[in-house]
Amino acid sequence: MTSADASRGIFEPHLLDRCIACGFCLPACPTYALSSDEGSSPRGRITLMRALETGRLDADDPRLREESSFCLGCRACEPVCPAGVRYGELLEAWRDHQWRGRHRPPVAQLLLLAVSHTPVVRAMGLVRRPARTARTGTDGYLMLGCFERLLYPRVSRAVRRLLPDLAVPANQGCCGALHAHNGESARGRELARRLGAQLPGTIVSTAGGCAAHLATVLGRDRVRELSEYLVHAGTTPVGEVLVDGRRARVCLQDSCHLRNGMRVFAEPRALIGAVAEFVAVPGDDSCCGAAGTYSLLRPRDSRRILDPKLDAIEAAGVDYVVAVNPGCLRQLRTGLRRRRSPVRAVHLAELLAAAAGGMPDQ
Amino acid sequence: MTVEAAVLAQLEAIVGAEHVRSGRGDVEPYARDATPAFHAVPDAVVWPRSAEEIAAILRLATRLRLPVIPRGAGSNLCAATVALRGGVVLVLTRMNRILEVDPAELLARAEPGASTEALSKAAAARGLLYAPDPGSRTVSTIGGNVATCAGGLRGLKYGVTRNYVLGLEAVLPTGEVIRTGGRLWKDVAGYDLTRLLTGSEGTLAVLTEITVALLPMPATANTGIAYFASLADAGRAVAAVISDGIVPATLEFLDARCIGAVEEYASLGLRLDAGALLLFGDDGAADAVDRNLARIGELCTAAGAIEVVVADAPARSEALLTARRATLPALSRLGSLTILEDATVPRPRLAEMVGRINEIAERHTVPIATFGHAGDGNLHPTCVVDQHDEAAIERAHRAFAEIFAAAIEMGGTITGEHGVGAAKLPFLEARLGADHVALLRRIKAAFDPAGILNPGKLGS
Repeated sequence: MTSADASRGIFEPHLLDRCIACGFCLPACPTYALSSDEGSSPRGRITLMRALETGRLDADDPRLREESSFCLGCRACEPVCPAGVRYGELLEAWRDHQWRGRHRPPVAQLLLLAVSHTPVVRAMGLVRRPARTARTGTDGYLMLGCFERLLYPRVSRAVRRLLPDLAVPANQGCCGALHAHNGESARGRELARRLGAQLPGTIVSTAGGCAAHLATVLGRDRVRELSEYLVHAGTTPVGEVLVDGRRARVCLQDSCHLRNGMRVFAEPRALIGAVAEFVAVPGDDSCCGAAGTYSLLRPRDSRRILDPKLDAIEAAGVDYVVAVNPGCLRQLRTGLRRRRSPVRAVHLAELLAAAAGGMPDQ
Repeated sequence: MTVEAAVLAQLEAIVGAEHVRSGRGDVEPYARDATPAFHAVPDAVVWPRSAEEIAAILRLATRLRLPVIPRGAGSNLCAATVALRGGVVLVLTRMNRILEVDPAELLARAEPGASTEALSKAAAARGLLYAPDPGSRTVSTIGGNVATCAGGLRGLKYGVTRNYVLGLEAVLPTGEVIRTGGRLWKDVAGYDLTRLLTGSEGTLAVLTEITVALLPMPATANTGIAYFASLADAGRAVAAVISDGIVPATLEFLDARCIGAVEEYASLGLRLDAGALLLFGDDGAADAVDRNLARIGELCTAAGAIEVVVADAPARSEALLTARRATLPALSRLGSLTILEDATVPRPRLAEMVGRINEIAERHTVPIATFGHAGDGNLHPTCVVDQHDEAAIERAHRAFAEIFAAAIEMGGTITGEHGVGAAKLPFLEARLGADHVALLRRIKAAFDPAGILNPGKLGS
């Protein structure tokens, strides 16, 4: 063990120094709410990071290992932090160190391998036919998320109907968000830069998590999440979504990185309100437990986060819950199906396309 | 001191194995609270669920001479919950139920781990107001508020936590469960132990249930801002407001550095060319609030305010108050170590004290920003320095020692609302005198003969 004043260079000192331990983050943290344990709060985790940095604790400390993975990485602690701590960046640095080599969870390792190479990512799209065009992107480029093109190809097809002028090149790789959040932040930045070169203009994304990561690497101005792009372009949504002859009741599940990283949350609400009756559900701004790879790495904790949310959604009596990120969409669909709920989870693009009459199979 | 496995097993037998943690990584987060520069690692952390479990833990601890440090959310600013001598941190956040809100008796009953905000909301849902409004209300627990007699932004009109505590249930270090006070506004049977335990900082007993008085919710509330060229002008305006017979709910001040820091965090459109601002607010019937705010505005203008603005919407008013509560963390953006103090002087001497602080800061060449509760004479001089600059830290400590001395000399105190904890203990005797401190020790010994409860703090 080194002396308490030594620094191991795991974290950037100015990022770690930012926290004054006021504790204003505690009420915002979903894992603190589950555990009532300081060590599972943002402030407590920063205390642990400091102990790791100064050598008071080593990376093989079981609690350090546990907390680096128990944290959802939802960054709900950032908007409420008056001291301006950039927790997301601290967490990336922590996992870079903590999850080196064999310490990375094997499931995460597999996923990262799958999306690291553009040809593999392209092949994932072949199966399900997401949108694609050969057009050049004077109005911007639609980014195709790796897992979205495999799991939810209808999302990009819906965007094509809403924004036919966007270019959708088939040759695009992974944005690297998955890497950045799973202990390979350098690789994550490299992939983001490569995608930035493949899509050399404004990048429009249907995935809050991808958008936030790209914005961090390529600059905020290069990247627009779909709802943000539509609202800022002054697009008025067409039509409305009806259920049994009345306007559908629709709530939103915020994407954490879209809300807490890019501070976009008014836009999707406004768009939903334009085509349906928007219903504000308590807790719609907090993490659904999908959290990137979290629902695969920690399925039990993921469900403990999700279940109260599904209760609230069902209690609100909505017809649809809208997601703005494919991970959240998968999480909500799986959860709602499990409890045989009549509520359906859709992506914002699908809802807007259905309103415009463009998704007859909806 | 380290806790042996056998002791851990006994603790586990009391609260359940999943509610005792002693791994090095488990206890490290409890080595500190919101106070900078205090760090002491406990041996174990325990989460009890009831007064009975706490009684069993304390009996065990008294028998073994094992230190026990009660803790709520750890948002205190006086190192009240740092385990200076190791031992067990007793975290009360599992005991977080609001047991009762009674509009007929105007009171609420809660377990100590309920957050202040949760209590306020439960009261508001029944049309009632829990008046104390500490800056950390979203985080802090009601137990922590009572243990430190928390103050806040509504002190001038409504007082502080002690004015609202009607009754307590508490476990003595020797294991007995006592009840003090109760549901009555009038009750003089015995010494006022409710008041003694309020502000006792976890050194006399562990609070397990709290009964607080509520008020009818005021019909409206609003807030305004007056900008001044200097803090001295603002201080004169405060004196003018209070001697005019107005008791506003809120009367807060920020100096130029604080205005800049808050503006950078909250982007409220505050004037950055002002030397100081007064944030004033009142609540009650709409016409009375309008009248009082207009009158305060006039008095500020007469005292030399360069501009007075009254909020035009409740949301704006709430945004101003929220930003004021975040002043300290917002200031912390200026450097890596933020030392906050809590000197308090009689209200009429506020401007004079601000002058003394500035003079002391200049003489020691440390940057000190000052904000605080003008209506209570409660100042928060705050020094932001580089944590690696030992010479600057040393100068800051010397400056603060002089600031405390100046406050005492003016008939003030070393801490208005943050508490003594480990941070202010060295200055306590200068404020209270040797006989008074000796009496505190005897009181402590009567409650806690083995000296296990939060040792190294009040009464030690």
